[in-house]
Amino acid sequence: MNDAVPAIEGRDLVREFAGGVRALDGVSLSIRPNEFFTLLGPSGCGKTTLLRAIAGLEVPDSGSISLYGQPLDGLPPWKRPVNTVFQSYAIFPHLTVAQNVAFGLEMQRRPRAEIAARVAEMLALVKLEGLDGRKSSQLSGGQQQRVALARALATSPRVLLLDEPLSALDLKLRTEMQLELKRLQARVGITFIFVTHDQHEALTMSDRIAVMNAGQIQQIGTPDEIYDRPASRFVADFIGATNLLEATGTGEGAYRLADGSQIAAQGPAGSVWLAIRPERLRIAPEGSLHGVVEHAVYEGTDTIYHVVVSETVRLRVRAPNSDGASARFATGAAVGVVIPADAVRVLQS
Amino acid sequence: MKSLWRFPFTRPAAIFTLVFLYVPIIVLVVLSFGAEDSIARWSGFSLRWYAEVWDNDTMLRTIRNSLTVAVFAMLFGTAAATMAALALARGTFRGKTIAALLLGLPLVVPEIVAGISVLLFFVLVGIRLGITSIILAHIVFVIPYAYLPIRARLDGMDPALVEAAADLYAPRWTAFYRIILPLIWPGIAAGATLAFIGSLGDVVVSYFVSGPGATTLPVYVFSMVRMGVTPVVNAVSTLLLAASIAVFSLSYLVSRSKG
Amino acid sequence: MTAVWRRAALLAPSLGWIAAFLVLPLCLMAYVSTLARGPMGGVDWNHHTADAYVQFLFERDLMDRLVVNTDYLRIFGRSFALAGGTTVLTLLIGFPTAIWMAFQPPSRRLLLVFIITVPFWTNILVRNYAWILLLRTGGLIDTLLRASGLSNEPFSILYTPLATGIGLTYSFLPYMVLPIYVSLEKIDRRLVEAAFDLGASRWAAFRRVILPLAMPGVMGGAILVFVPGLGAFISPELLGGAKSMMIGSLIQQQFGQSRNWPFGAALAFVLFALVLLALGAHQLRYRREAR
Repeated sequence: MNDAVPAIEGRDLVREFAGGVRALDGVSLSIRPNEFFTLLGPSGCGKTTLLRAIAGLEVPDSGSISLYGQPLDGLPPWKRPVNTVFQSYAIFPHLTVAQNVAFGLEMQRRPRAEIAARVAEMLALVKLEGLDGRKSSQLSGGQQQRVALARALATSPRVLLLDEPLSALDLKLRTEMQLELKRLQARVGITFIFVTHDQHEALTMSDRIAVMNAGQIQQIGTPDEIYDRPASRFVADFIGATNLLEATGTGEGAYRLADGSQIAAQGPAGSVWLAIRPERLRIAPEGSLHGVVEHAVYEGTDTIYHVVVSETVRLRVRAPNSDGASARFATGAAVGVVIPADAVRVLQS
Repeated sequence: MKSLWRFPFTRPAAIFTLVFLYVPIIVLVVLSFGAEDSIARWSGFSLRWYAEVWDNDTMLRTIRNSLTVAVFAMLFGTAAATMAALALARGTFRGKTIAALLLGLPLVVPEIVAGISVLLFFVLVGIRLGITSIILAHIVFVIPYAYLPIRARLDGMDPALVEAAADLYAPRWTAFYRIILPLIWPGIAAGATLAFIGSLGDVVVSYFVSGPGATTLPVYVFSMVRMGVTPVVNAVSTLLLAASIAVFSLSYLVSRSKG
Repeated sequence: MTAVWRRAALLAPSLGWIAAFLVLPLCLMAYVSTLARGPMGGVDWNHHTADAYVQFLFERDLMDRLVVNTDYLRIFGRSFALAGGTTVLTLLIGFPTAIWMAFQPPSRRLLLVFIITVPFWTNILVRNYAWILLLRTGGLIDTLLRASGLSNEPFSILYTPLATGIGLTYSFLPYMVLPIYVSLEKIDRRLVEAAFDLGASRWAAFRRVILPLAMPGVMGGAILVFVPGLGAFISPELLGGAKSMMIGSLIQQQFGQSRNWPFGAALAFVLFALVLLALGAHQLRYRREAR
């Protein structure tokens, strides 16, 4: 496998819908072969449009997309060797499970014997043996999901596109399918491009994530890069819980907050945002900032403290309950907050 | 305790409606099997009026005319309506509202107005009045009948199904006959039967655009009734009724079936 | 670009057909209404005049002066009255029927819709004809009345405006029931339950919750009954007499015995305009409510 050639490369993609909404506003990205790549963002951020542009279901106004170096531009969806698992699954309701899985193979005019063998193989892969004769109305949501997967994988596409495939499933089934998808990707060894608005799903499943907002890619990186080193205020805010503080750099390794208090951190001077994950803060009798516990939310493994430092500065601190009830602080307690310098992410505003 | 959903007066009203709607029809059907020449008194079961229909050459010819017209109007109307539904079902484009309005126009124009304007048109353009002119006029108002159920079926279809077909290497035309056509088929069948019934039952438009030699059954019956009531009309009306109800029930069953 | 052409090709047969065999004839009709009547019937293509519209309100007396003639106006008035009366009557019968249907168990509702829809699709001529059998002297109602001794007078309302009204009500009742039913069926049951829960009586729940939510259906039904009622031809021709003529028959006469095409075209044009006006008013109202 030639790692130098990206599986999917998009360049300067723009797509504007009627009414002036820019679903894609100059998107460029490069997706590596065999990657589990996730497009993450709030609804309306353009992630589904990007996926549909790769599938050929949406034609960008400008920009180009190539697959392993071959330009896809101008090719209709039926000539692109990529397949999609649709959000609604789009199982053909008038066809049986087996006929659904065979559909793409029939369109490619594969020999009948090969189709039958491939359908059996695919149904085994997604653990749906014995359901070949069913129609979609006789399947559960999870089963429909598997049919959609088998159907999309049957023709051995070079890239599999998944459009929020798990959003219609309940939590238990969703967790199950997340593992299943990872297992499947390892088995078939192709690139998966996965669209979701669920950051937890994105963090647990992906090799790399592209965070999108308002038609633009905010950051591309591995899950820990995205989480620990968010590149923008949007990413810091969208992924996980974050304390976002407006601050001004003093140029001496410290930042002054709106209320005048200072936090030590490395970064550029000027007006910035400080992003600090609640679990990186520690609550102690003494700390670099001091405040009062406004309320404490008990969550089992952790307790979340809402600490009021001043009128303008409030902090959330996630403290593990590993030390038992004795170590917890009550509402109204005066506490200190310890801020390790490497916990502070400085973001230019 | 009375059910919460039982509102006073609604039950008697509903019963009245059903009686009101069906009693005249039932009376007509029963009388058509009556023996006596009087249309309103009962004196034994007989099929003599049906035999008279059978022996009436003019009536048989108008029945054949009606069926010919209905079949052609159905075929052309349904084909045109299916195409229009496919064009209008998804997406927005300039002129879509106008197109939809134009498609609904035949439902809005009073029959009498449509009838006389088409008559004027045919006379002035020089199209001879007869079976052809009736078919030409029927196709117009049959199109929206056929259009509505097909459009409803298309609207109820997940747009991702067509995309899935395209994604799975089916070119446009293949996707149409492998996926869209089987899925909207019940709608097309329902639309076609409504078109058929609509054409078969039309009196007003046909009345104006039929020629002296060629007229449809309802127009013929209409003129018979205006001349004076004869029991043969009961029999032929019952036949028309049976045809409409049979075709409608069929279309209802087809459109109910999942596909 | 190809998408545009594909769409145009798909729309061409239906829209082309309607344009050629409905829109064009309607324009022609409007044009004919501005022409003078031909000497042998038909029209005089070279002579434009407003005679056809003047004739609607005035006639020429022996001295060739224009005097007001209310004959035609009266026919229009009667058409309005009959169409309006039919609308009210179908509403009175149809609304409670629709309510009853909407609150039946779902399985039975389907059957009821079917039962109401069947007459809707059966031949309108046959349905009006059936009423002749019931209403005429010596007909079913007459026979029953006399047999039961309730009346010795011959029962004869056939060929009266009342008979026309009955025929129209009978013809258009499903047009009223179905749209109201559809709007009622869409109502979330919990809204009515919430009204009950908040202390509303059945009447209050009806007036404050059900009625407002059913209003689009009522308006839709009213339009569906009133508009074709105004231009009705079959019911007045079969059931009404010479004294209960409606617009439809008047128009037809101009193309039959009277041979006055421009006047017929003008009448048809006025009828069409009235229908469009009614539809436009409904549309406006509906859109304002939607806002």
